[in-house]
Amino acid sequence: MSATLTYIRTYLVRVILIIAALSGLVTWYFVSPQADAIANELQIWNTAAASWTLFVGIITIFSHYIRSVMKRERYWPYQLYAMILMVLWCIMGVWSGLYSNLYQTAYLSTKITLHIAILGQLIFFFISGVYRTFRIKTARTLLYAFLALIMVVLNAPWMQWIFPNAEKVTFWLLNNVGMSGERTLAITGGIGGVVLSIRILLGLEKGALRATEEI
Amino acid sequence: MISTDPWVWLSALLTLCSFSLLYGDNPFFRFAQYTYTATVVAHSVVTGVPTMRDRFMPLFTGQKPLMVVPFILGIMACFIVYRKYAWVASFPYALFIGVGTGLSVRAMVATDIVGNLKAVIREAGDIVVGPMPSRLGNLVRVIFIITTMIYLFFTLFHKGPLSKPFRYLMTFGKYCFLAYMGISVGNAIMQISGLCTSAINRLIRTWLGL
Amino acid sequence: MVEIPELKSQHIWVVILCVYIFTSVYPIGVPFRMSEATLKAYNFIDSLPPGSIVIMGGSGVFAFDLESSAAMIAAIKHMARKGLRLVALPLGTEAVQFQKYCIDTARVDEKYGGPWKYGVDYAVLPYIPGGSAAVVSFLTDVHALVSTDVMGNPISKLPIFEDLHDYRDIALWTCPHWGFWIVRYVTGERGIPMIGFAQAAAYALYSVYMMIYPDKVWLTNGFLGGAQYEKLVGIKGLGHAAMDSYSLISIFVVFFVILGNLRLLSSIKEEEEVIE
Repeated sequence: MSATLTYIRTYLVRVILIIAALSGLVTWYFVSPQADAIANELQIWNTAAASWTLFVGIITIFSHYIRSVMKRERYWPYQLYAMILMVLWCIMGVWSGLYSNLYQTAYLSTKITLHIAILGQLIFFFISGVYRTFRIKTARTLLYAFLALIMVVLNAPWMQWIFPNAEKVTFWLLNNVGMSGERTLAITGGIGGVVLSIRILLGLEKGALRATEEI
Repeated sequence: MISTDPWVWLSALLTLCSFSLLYGDNPFFRFAQYTYTATVVAHSVVTGVPTMRDRFMPLFTGQKPLMVVPFILGIMACFIVYRKYAWVASFPYALFIGVGTGLSVRAMVATDIVGNLKAVIREAGDIVVGPMPSRLGNLVRVIFIITTMIYLFFTLFHKGPLSKPFRYLMTFGKYCFLAYMGISVGNAIMQISGLCTSAINRLIRTWLGL
Repeated sequence: MVEIPELKSQHIWVVILCVYIFTSVYPIGVPFRMSEATLKAYNFIDSLPPGSIVIMGGSGVFAFDLESSAAMIAAIKHMARKGLRLVALPLGTEAVQFQKYCIDTARVDEKYGGPWKYGVDYAVLPYIPGGSAAVVSFLTDVHALVSTDVMGNPISKLPIFEDLHDYRDIALWTCPHWGFWIVRYVTGERGIPMIGFAQAAAYALYSVYMMIYPDKVWLTNGFLGGAQYEKLVGIKGLGHAAMDSYSLISIFVVFFVILGNLRLLSSIKEEEEVIE
């Protein structure tokens, strides 16, 4: 019975997937008002259904933290604090509104402050890392370190003042050497993406849709 | 003069807690870490409220009764967190992946593959025209793209008479890739440095008022 | 040969911290040059007729996008001066906060003495999930996709939306994020001009699309591009502050790399002496 249900579910999922994918393709390559209407409706459904996923995070983290606090696992006081903060934050946010000045100030003073500080700290680790790793032992390190340093210096205003064409050299490097690497990644990634999409449409990529699991 | 705004104080203390990581793992950093996690998750819920209101307004006003389908699909998507019933979420995820796949295939073919290849062909033609820096740039682009593509696509061992020159091309492609990474890393330092400036300015100027 | 000791990371961090504190207390104000890329972006916005609708679409992670905010804020100021109109389309959960931050910091709303009135000259939509589906659907039919603004007001009651129905009504799309995938739909499929206020780490990624659509996609480069745009608009914001400290930091990066290599040379000599 469960095998039959799994079979039905797998094929139903595949049918939804194929219809959804083809709607996006047909509407672009063929002129059909009916296909356009279906594609647009499915896209709106997608954005609407996806809005529920905004609540997945809090469900997951609460189920994890509650278990951890009950068992008095390591860091449980912090997790208890985080749960209380989450509840208070949700009440404050819903009460004041997402676009209110109070919410904006609270968000900027906590989450954004912390995130900027965490990312900003990377410069310390980066420079101490550069001190240790940019030691020219091979031609590869020479090339890598030299170009990285060239970019660091060319972007600096003092260099642009000493060498007025520094900015032109920066963009030449970015738009030619830098862009070439990214373009290669875009072409190869594009081909890989199309292949992956075809595999999904053919039902060869099963893991993401839990098609291999039994009910 | 030192700020009297409690929000500025909170922001400054959290910045200090975060920077305390430079000293090593400590309770202040852990406090900051859990504050961060809590605000990220709770913000997602707060964002969800106006988003849900906007998305399902046509359903509740009776303009679009069919919106009940994504409403139910959305609830089903939340089952992803329960291992036992995660299969329920496979239906909405099929819709997400299907719509995403259809849209990305058409866009990637037109832009990332065909658009880029057209640009390479155009640039190959431009090697012989225009000012010197631009001609040199086009030459670099064409050579770098061909060799890095060879490096990325042909990773298997090659045998036969052409194996040696092929290997040279692959090695050259690898160096081109290294050059690109060096440039990207060098340019990215500006970003991290600026973010650190913002964090330090918050402490020095906004909080301490220096 | 003089023996050069291996520096501890903490020593380097103290030096770097001192540099940041110094530049924060005493801004050096090193002048910088204008780049052609920023100028092109500025000129395009300048050339748009008053009343044109610009979309601020994208933004994902606020902290990263802070770099893009330098140019975005200056551009919003520029748009307000030119009489352009702006619709903020958040495509990330933090985008609402980021876009509010940019609009508030630009001080363009009438409550700050600016020329813009909410609902008439600018509006902010709620976060729309779905990534590419949201962008494609927005370009196809704005009113079918969106029913309210971020505060819950029906968009049918906001005058700006009387002139915004689909992609044909959009004069320019600005993206203060790593929005390379947005270019595929906005410029690639619908031919709308786009300005990316790219983060430095994403410039090369973005420039691929600038080369595919050379006359439709323009970019500014990170904080430097932000500082340049600020200069064009005549304000001093985060871009200026970031470039100020970066001037000194760049010198220290080079210094530490040289020091590291001298340490390498010195250790090689030491090893040779031990072998002898």
